[in-house]
Amino acid sequence: MPPSLALTPGLGSFLKCLKTNPIDTSIETLISLLKRRQIRHSRSCATATAYLLRSVISACRTTDSAKLIERVQSVGRRLMAAQPREMVVGNIVRRVLGLIRDEAEDDRDAEFALSDIGSESQPQTPRAYDDPSLPLDRDSPSFRSEERSSRPALTSMFSLLSHPEPEHSLPSTPGSSSPSGRLPGHGPSKDVRAEVLEGIGEIIDELGQVDDQIAAYALDHIHSNEIILTHTSSTTVQKFLLKAAAKRKFTVIHAESYPNNHEATHATVSGSAVSDDDNLGVEAFQKPLIEHGITVILIPDSAVFALMSRVNKVILGTHSVLANGGLVAAAGTRVIARAAKVHQTPVVVVSGVYKLSPVYPFDFDSLIEYGDPSMVLPYEEGDLVDLVDVQNPIYDYVPAELVDLYITNLGGHAPSYLYRIVSDHYRKEDISF
Amino acid sequence: MAPKQKAGQKPKPNAAEEVEETFQAVVLADTFETRFEPFTRDKPRCLLPLANTPLIEYTLEFLANAGVEEVFLYAGAHSDQLEKYINASKWRALSSPFKQFTFLKSTSTSVGDVMRDLDGKHLITGDFIVVSGDVISNLPIEGALAEHRARRALDKNAIMTMVLREAGLEHRTKSTSVSPIFVIDPTKDRCLHYEEINRHPDEEQLSRLNIDAEIILKNPELDIRQDLIDCSIDICTPDVLSLWSDSFDYQSPRKHYLFGVLKDYELNGKTLHTYIIKDHYAARVRNLKAYDAISKDILSRWTYPLCPDTNLLPGHTYTLRKGSMYQETGVTLARSCVIGRRTVIGKGTSIGDRAEVHNSVLGRNCKIGRNVKLDGAYVWDDVVIGDNTDVRGAIIADGVVIGKNCAIAAGALLSYGVKIADNIWVESGKRITKTRNDGGVGKNDPAVVGEEGEGYEFIHGEEDEDEDDDMSVASSGLVYRMPNLSLSSASISTLSSEVSNTSWARSERSSFSADEDADNFHHDASVSLFDSLREGVAADVVQLELVTLRMSANASDNQVRRAIVTSFMKHIQQLMEGGKGAGPAVNGVFTAYKEVVERTLFDRNKEQKKDQVDLLLSLQQDLIHRNKGDTVLLFTAKSLYELDLIEEEAYDQWWNDERSSNSEEMRAVRSQTQQFVDWLAEAEEESSEEESEEESDDE
Repeated sequence: MPPSLALTPGLGSFLKCLKTNPIDTSIETLISLLKRRQIRHSRSCATATAYLLRSVISACRTTDSAKLIERVQSVGRRLMAAQPREMVVGNIVRRVLGLIRDEAEDDRDAEFALSDIGSESQPQTPRAYDDPSLPLDRDSPSFRSEERSSRPALTSMFSLLSHPEPEHSLPSTPGSSSPSGRLPGHGPSKDVRAEVLEGIGEIIDELGQVDDQIAAYALDHIHSNEIILTHTSSTTVQKFLLKAAAKRKFTVIHAESYPNNHEATHATVSGSAVSDDDNLGVEAFQKPLIEHGITVILIPDSAVFALMSRVNKVILGTHSVLANGGLVAAAGTRVIARAAKVHQTPVVVVSGVYKLSPVYPFDFDSLIEYGDPSMVLPYEEGDLVDLVDVQNPIYDYVPAELVDLYITNLGGHAPSYLYRIVSDHYRKEDISF
Repeated sequence: MAPKQKAGQKPKPNAAEEVEETFQAVVLADTFETRFEPFTRDKPRCLLPLANTPLIEYTLEFLANAGVEEVFLYAGAHSDQLEKYINASKWRALSSPFKQFTFLKSTSTSVGDVMRDLDGKHLITGDFIVVSGDVISNLPIEGALAEHRARRALDKNAIMTMVLREAGLEHRTKSTSVSPIFVIDPTKDRCLHYEEINRHPDEEQLSRLNIDAEIILKNPELDIRQDLIDCSIDICTPDVLSLWSDSFDYQSPRKHYLFGVLKDYELNGKTLHTYIIKDHYAARVRNLKAYDAISKDILSRWTYPLCPDTNLLPGHTYTLRKGSMYQETGVTLARSCVIGRRTVIGKGTSIGDRAEVHNSVLGRNCKIGRNVKLDGAYVWDDVVIGDNTDVRGAIIADGVVIGKNCAIAAGALLSYGVKIADNIWVESGKRITKTRNDGGVGKNDPAVVGEEGEGYEFIHGEEDEDEDDDMSVASSGLVYRMPNLSLSSASISTLSSEVSNTSWARSERSSFSADEDADNFHHDASVSLFDSLREGVAADVVQLELVTLRMSANASDNQVRRAIVTSFMKHIQQLMEGGKGAGPAVNGVFTAYKEVVERTLFDRNKEQKKDQVDLLLSLQQDLIHRNKGDTVLLFTAKSLYELDLIEEEAYDQWWNDERSSNSEEMRAVRSQTQQFVDWLAEAEEESSEEESEEESDDE
């Protein structure tokens, strides 16, 4: 007779109650969950936000896109205020806003019988070329392209000037998979809401598949007999390495990322990790690297510099990526990136596009969250607790110049190229809403 | 073993759904203690701000964190304020994480009453958590809960699990005065014995732990732990309530209930268990010292994520800057002011030129003047502090106005609305308030707050002559740096719990009942003594009986002396009515029971003969109403002197004591004794050999 466990609130319980509770309750619940840090990690936050916005929009009984935008903005603002350091929340909100705007403009386009030619002529999708197996991220470029065609009509002089640029820079990639099939369905009477909901569904799908998509690039970057250094228990990185491990033999050096993530890291390395419900279960990978015959060496963070000279490549996960190419990642990342720079070791960051934030980091300190100091110094040490200021930053800011390559689900990008992806995914008017 | 397995297989939401039962919690908003006086005169304790967020928010946040669905909030003093607050808060909104939030008012005067009331209401359906309304914790309770339920599944008698936080020997968050000692069987996590001992024992009473020998014999392994912070988070089964009901005299959850239930294990067969946590934060704001320590903990993020920048309350906009500085938007800082580490500054607060703020919490809309120095200060909302004022380690409540060039020393407490005039120095540990115990406004005391100031010095237990109070005052002081001030206290002793309530009606009742107790003792003791005297029982037996009575009624020495005097005089009078002369009667009785009287006088070697004077005064008082009282007094005085029970100095002090001559009757009764006293005074000058002759002459 198993005694029932009261479910501690988390992503699982949130998603469960989202179905039953009225929408305002759900918003409040998510806000308090974010505040209490019961939903953490980028992906969980992103998933929760996407699901919430889907319910918000389906509960909104209007087809007026302006009202929808207003509603999403107000919800989004509250969510972001609840936990400003989880930037993915803002990212998802912005993408949903972009979706609504696109649909609204689509409508207008259709009314004015603006042809689809514009969109067909601008298949600015390098990712489609890199990975033809992605149905979901194709939609954002498609909206994007339509929006672009219509944008000169509604935006300022500035965007008039800035617009042609992406269009010209992109045609080098053949737009083989431009989703022209979507457009014929758009009648003048189509329901904006339904379209947006569909779009959000695709974002949710993207969140579910992003790791596999990124892992698809693994064989391009990991070669036989390389020594790879990594950090934290990021599932994205693990999947990436696992994919490569299926074909190639290499060595992994794993820094344990004490004190905030070392337990998870140990579990990951030894394969004893239980799939935590935050990751919705599906993310659990079955076998650790060692079962694929990969040598994994777990080292303390302090040994990173000493070993760096032997390392061929550093692969890092991240918390979020900023528009300037810098990243906010688990504490200790900067040290590793720095050491890699000294040894001229390439640093590769794997990250889903959803982590890419249009925020420009003017104040790095404000991006860094400080956690529970008891991870560093046990609270029992009464004397020290009284006399010493203990700080436990959870994140590090890594400047763009320390990163050599970003691999997203759209492919590999140089840090200096990220601004392009940002402008592909977020509309200017939403960047600071 | 069982709980571990469970933890491993938990993430099956469907399985959990089927067996899910409502998880209930009981919040004791009033802990029936006086530790936060004088602030609690105006506001319930759980609404006092801790790092600018009311205490109760932290507790409810903890419960929400733990996944509690139904909350019963028991309010005590100021329940109307609390109810208003709760109704306006997010916990009562539709979006509240609690499915049900019940606000219960009660007239209870102790935790025990609350529990018995709860039992009577039959609200509790399953396992529930009991927390007091001042718990700060970021602990996910599920581990403890799983363990509790597993244990309960095996053994119905495992009724309670207490969550305890491990802390080192010395820790700022631990209570310094009373330290709880848990004797635990580590193999079963079972608590076998509990006792509270004083950390700073008085000279007379050394702190001792009394463990039943049986516990030691029966358990091969024992942990005796004193390093635990008792955060009073208990996971209980409904049986706990029925046990409360069974023992109607239990008042405090630890000192009485825990102690009692463990003691009576043989009787009730219930076992209580502990869950000791080594990580996560858990503490209780049990007194002002803890308030200080926990504020610091919050600012240095030990309570993460319950930190100011989490903005628990809607409308809060705190952000964290480097160096544990939390600021809301809309703070006005002069260019030349210095804001140091570990500070919290609320919205609308302005800080003047060259002011320095370190380790301090400032509420909203405060005005801090120029050159002000704040260090370790807790400044609540709407406070005005004049230029050049210096505040260190003090708590300054809402709406206080402090003039220019003042100094507020460490440990000072300024309650709501107090005004301090310019150039005033408020001493360390002083408590200044405006509100009287009955809710009215007290008289201003210019000596304390200056000519234009408002407020008067708060003296603990103004209306009560309770000895315990001094102790608890000391322990509740913010000034923990001074060891002599953080002495000790009976945490929830019967008396202090009764007077703790800020409402006038209740404390009136309590003083009344104290009088009643005293009357009872006096009556019982004098009757039984009188009976013994009449039957001629031996002195040691009389003594034993008296001691027993005194113990059971917790009577003071003064009461004992009064009882002795009454019974002795009654007996003597009876003897005299039976035809005996006053002299022999008095002499006979006092000679026979010299020992009894002697045991009530403790000032033999002291300068001031308080006890002896007191005895004489009681005698005098008693003899007013008796026949030939004056004669008896003379003989009694003489025979007490001869028996060496009362010394010459005492007679002197008694005679000069104004109490012995402040009424017509008193003077009449002692008139005859005049000669004896005169003689005594003369005798002092003469040689001791002559004394006996003189004496016989007198007779």
